[in-house]
Amino acid sequence: MSLISRPYIFTLNSAQSTRYRRTMNTDGDLLHTVTADNISDSRRRLGKVMVWSTALLCLALALWQFAYQTGRIETGFETWRPILFAYVLWATALCAAQVIVNGEKGKRTLFVLPAALFVISLVVFPLLFALYISFTDWNLASPNGPQPNSWDNLVQMWNDGFYWNALKNMVYYVLAVSVEYVIAFGLAMLLNAQIRARKFFRVVFLLPLMLSPVAVSWMIGKSMLEVRFGPISRLLREFGVEPSFFGNPEIARFMIMAMDAWTFIPFMMIMLLAGLQALPREVIEASKVDGATGWQGFKEVIFPLMLPVSVTAIVIRIIFKLKLADVIINVTSGGPGGATDSVTSFIFREYRDRSNVGYGTLLAMVYLVLIVIFVTLLLKLVSRWMERPA
Amino acid sequence: MKVELYNYIKAAQKMNRRNMLKGSAALGAMAMMPKTAMAASHSNVRAEILKIPGVGAGSPTDSDWQKVGEMCLGATKGNVAEGEFAGVELTFMGLNNQNLHNFLFRGFLKPWEAYTGAKINWIDLAQADYNARLQQSIATGTVDFDIIEMGAPFEGDVLGKGLASEMPEWVKEQIDMDDYVDYLKAPVGTWGGKTYRISIDGDCHTFAYRKDYFGPDSITGREVPTTWQEVNEVSKELVGQEDPLTGLPAHGYLDPLKGWGGFGFYFLENRASAYAKHPNSPAWLFEPDTMKPMVNNPAWVQAIQDVMDLIEAGAYPTDQINADPGTTAFQQFLAGTGSMLMWWGDVGSMARTSDTSVVGEVASFGINPASDRVYNAQSGAWEETRNEAPNMAYIGWGVYVMATVDGDEKKKKAAWSAAAHLGGKDLSLWASAYPSGFQPYRNSHFQFDEWEEAGYDRAYVEDYLGSNADSYNHPNAAIEPRIPGIFQYYSVAEDELAKGYAGQYGSAQETADAIAAAWEKITDQIGRDSQIALYKASIGM
Repeated sequence: MSLISRPYIFTLNSAQSTRYRRTMNTDGDLLHTVTADNISDSRRRLGKVMVWSTALLCLALALWQFAYQTGRIETGFETWRPILFAYVLWATALCAAQVIVNGEKGKRTLFVLPAALFVISLVVFPLLFALYISFTDWNLASPNGPQPNSWDNLVQMWNDGFYWNALKNMVYYVLAVSVEYVIAFGLAMLLNAQIRARKFFRVVFLLPLMLSPVAVSWMIGKSMLEVRFGPISRLLREFGVEPSFFGNPEIARFMIMAMDAWTFIPFMMIMLLAGLQALPREVIEASKVDGATGWQGFKEVIFPLMLPVSVTAIVIRIIFKLKLADVIINVTSGGPGGATDSVTSFIFREYRDRSNVGYGTLLAMVYLVLIVIFVTLLLKLVSRWMERPA
Repeated sequence: MKVELYNYIKAAQKMNRRNMLKGSAALGAMAMMPKTAMAASHSNVRAEILKIPGVGAGSPTDSDWQKVGEMCLGATKGNVAEGEFAGVELTFMGLNNQNLHNFLFRGFLKPWEAYTGAKINWIDLAQADYNARLQQSIATGTVDFDIIEMGAPFEGDVLGKGLASEMPEWVKEQIDMDDYVDYLKAPVGTWGGKTYRISIDGDCHTFAYRKDYFGPDSITGREVPTTWQEVNEVSKELVGQEDPLTGLPAHGYLDPLKGWGGFGFYFLENRASAYAKHPNSPAWLFEPDTMKPMVNNPAWVQAIQDVMDLIEAGAYPTDQINADPGTTAFQQFLAGTGSMLMWWGDVGSMARTSDTSVVGEVASFGINPASDRVYNAQSGAWEETRNEAPNMAYIGWGVYVMATVDGDEKKKKAAWSAAAHLGGKDLSLWASAYPSGFQPYRNSHFQFDEWEEAGYDRAYVEDYLGSNADSYNHPNAAIEPRIPGIFQYYSVAEDELAKGYAGQYGSAQETADAIAAAWEKITDQIGRDSQIALYKASIGM
């Protein structure tokens, strides 16, 4: 039984009890209601009129502006800003109406409603706008702005080998998480052991995570790995090897993976370390008493107990990985020949360099749908391992 | 002075009596000065600023820029009273490449701000971000800057949409527009017969090469190449040899194989102009009547094939596929890698005056190499005649004032005054002689004596300035069209080229076809008819 539905038992003297009963609404949830609202019908009506009139105003203005923008009528606003103001007015009226119509209960709603409206506005409106844009041929230099072009962008995407190539690269990038996981687990085990200067190493290993990937791409990708004067290149040259880090597709892709891994392995490591430290000592000690070797202890006890933390770390890391773009944009611009392109870096170039807003947005929307499907399936698949075995 | 005239000037200039009398006294004194004395003081300023910091004295710093800005304030003081723009705030959008451009403008304008009382806020952009930022501002109606550093190719996007402020007459006089080299005069900087641009740069790509690679006893043993065919031959012959300056592997011509926000396409144009820019037509990018791309005709395909041949031969430094034009100029050529480069003229002054250059003593210059044969697009056949066509890539940076200031006369005057200060005749001489991101663009910049007096070697400066002058004045110069979206065409092209260079397309022809298909799409998106009209107008057809 939850705390909320459990009746509170406390003692009141008779005067208190009478006063309490008078002021309290005896219907519904008794816990939080302090005052009983006697809301008149006219007050309820006022609240509803406020909401509906402002909603109609907002809708009417939006339709009017839409008609103006599509050339159906001759007068309208220069921008959509008045409609935004009408929307804000409706949102304010909606919030106020909660109190007017529902009284005390409405005040509770007000703790959440403005924030919810704000979030919905920031997500839903741009999403709807993006959906519209993705079915237009909007090129930023076009004097006519966005013009609907039916399924053209989808057809173009279907025939765009470089978009599919970027998706294929994403598969490689996501698979690289497994290697990152192994390294992160090893480092976490190391830092969990009783080694000298453990705290120092914990901070040192966390340092890459504190760097922006943009800084990493410049410091490492464009400076240390610079073919002519980069220190790593010079070192290799000392050993008689002519360095080339981004000339060959496979090596370039590996270098991008390595830089990304260097930044984010500490993130996985710190999650796994937290998991290791939370493991029940007695179970591990019991396995030792039973004569388990180090490897057996890891394989049979630590690893299974760590599965929920591991899966969580991997899933979060995969979600990070799906956003990979900054290092690629800065270091290779997706080259050579798209070998290092992630979907995001590909969309970035399509959208930014080519100012091809319509097509770029469609690619982003398709990627969004793919991510939602992929992550949902992934979570479903791993859910059985997410809970610690009893 | 007549009383009514005095009252009129006082009202028109919003001047008090004291300032009026000061101005009159100064004017009287000026009128009494002999003309030769005025000319002497003017040329004295030019000589003095060229000594800051002095050739061979290291790269100029912020204090140097401020000193130069202070010494060049004379023209501003002639048109603006002290403190006249108090309370005015302006926003300036420009580049921050190589710590040049806006970094210099800040220094140049600091004394201007102190004198006029105006304040300038800065928006700094990397070269590769410039086109995207500008396009987004235009398309979304969020022009949040009052003054912009912009190249002429964007005039179709900005002037064509009425976003800029027309230049007042007093500015034209202050900056002496007649001094511009011919190709920067109208129609460049104008739209619909109105003038909008203050030039601060003139652009052409010139051929920079290392003298120590050429000559009888050099590692090539050849004369300096004058055609693209020779450039490719030398580049292939150098594979496996050692650079005489650095001891690292020797290389020939440095093509950038990675894009640079659209600017990378100019470097293929350098090769292509010799093949594709026939003297019988100014059109070499699009067919004027249809806007059909010419980029996949045999001339352009040959240019792409040239690059692919050098990739195949292993003639480039390792990782060249990841080298953009900034890399080829600053991290490679000036730092001693490679022996031949096409770049904007400022590489010439930087070779001598930049701290990062190691090739100052061995760099030499020429115009864009020619070709042994030229493609005649009208007849659809190659002609076996030598063809030269210097590439006026980008037509130079200019300063433009946006229409955002038009509603406020004080702000408008302030913006134009700041722009005119940056485009001043004397200040531009300094900018063309020292690392600035700009190259000579006025006839007065080609007075070799001034450069020699500043510390430049006479032969070097004749060589460097000569290559610029020869390009500007070439009868078959390849000039790009100032049409909307031109940088989208370039951005798409360099993106497709990068794929082609990496072997993603089957051949040079396939790469060129991919560019042409993408260009057709852009033309359709922007509007073919309007593009045809603007293209023809921009190339004078």
